[in-house]
Amino acid sequence: MKSVVRMLLLAVAVSGCAVAGAPFQRTEPPPGMSTIYVYRPYHYVGSLLRPPVTCGDETARIGPGGYHAFVVPAGTVTCSVQGGESVDETAIEGAPRHYYIREEIGWGVLSGHPHLNPMDNDTAHDEIAQCCVAEDQKQYQVGP
Amino acid sequence: MSSAGVRVGLSLGLGLGALVAAGCALPANQQTAPVAAPAGADSTASAPSTVAVGGEQSAALASGGRGEDSEGKGGLRRLPFAGRLVSGDAAELPPAVAASLSPDAPISFSYREELSHDEYHLPLWYSFIDPVTYVGAPLGDFGVTAAAELTIARGDRLIGQYAAKVHVSKSYTLYKQPTHREVEEAARAAVRAKIDDELAADDARLSRVAMNLTGAERAP
Repeated sequence: MKSVVRMLLLAVAVSGCAVAGAPFQRTEPPPGMSTIYVYRPYHYVGSLLRPPVTCGDETARIGPGGYHAFVVPAGTVTCSVQGGESVDETAIEGAPRHYYIREEIGWGVLSGHPHLNPMDNDTAHDEIAQCCVAEDQKQYQVGP
Repeated sequence: MSSAGVRVGLSLGLGLGALVAAGCALPANQQTAPVAAPAGADSTASAPSTVAVGGEQSAALASGGRGEDSEGKGGLRRLPFAGRLVSGDAAELPPAVAASLSPDAPISFSYREELSHDEYHLPLWYSFIDPVTYVGAPLGDFGVTAAAELTIARGDRLIGQYAAKVHVSKSYTLYKQPTHREVEEAARAAVRAKIDDELAADDARLSRVAMNLTGAERAP
């Protein structure tokens, strides 16, 4: 009986890590700008981790089941994610349009290794619409 | 799928090693049966050395298998004529084209490069229970396909059109992983080297084109 209760508590705790927010909505970037959507489908591995993702000058922490839209000047933009023991980065180069990157957490020795996988637009658009909601970044900001 | 192949090789190697270490004699037909080892994986090698071989292969693949030449360090050449860049980034060109740029040339270069990504990951539950994960077997691959196209024209007349496509992949392990950017840069370097190779193969014809140009239009 105790083990069942523990399992239930664990399930509640893990599912409580998923992001809650507005469903995905694609927005048109201003002229000369690109929008990079970084999204993270829910997975139990690393669900407590929220490594900082940086695209251009902006940084966001994205939880499982969340996404964040980075609006950056068109051209070469580097997106990177900093894990506890590893870093991944990818370069976005091209015309002003929408780009999609899927964030995943893989196995690591002491903590999960975050990956940023650039995705093609068709696959990613369907995936992000099904999996992810906009994450409120105010909860991570320091100060007033 | 190369990660899975290396893992199978490692598993077989570890399994056979354990049997041998335990002193278990296999039946004769099993001892002589060939073990299908994936390319680059020696089924009898120890786990870390097999992974190291896989890593070297990835690096060789990333450089197009040509070592230093693929990055233009050893085989830098220029075209027999100069051209101006009408499309593309001057900082991201095949070395031979980059060395032949001239802003006033009547010949135009147009260069385009596109990357597409693919990936392969072992299921997390499987890699968690598989012991070879903990000796450094690959957990997956990051792949990048680079496609490039170079067009050389003089006014409306097409002088040459060259296209190349290269796929580069690198595996990652529990202990070490390449960044996507490293794979992207390797793919770009490899596809530029391939365009340079195509230009070199077409050198005789391009030289004939250059012969018809006036002195000022030739290579600077």
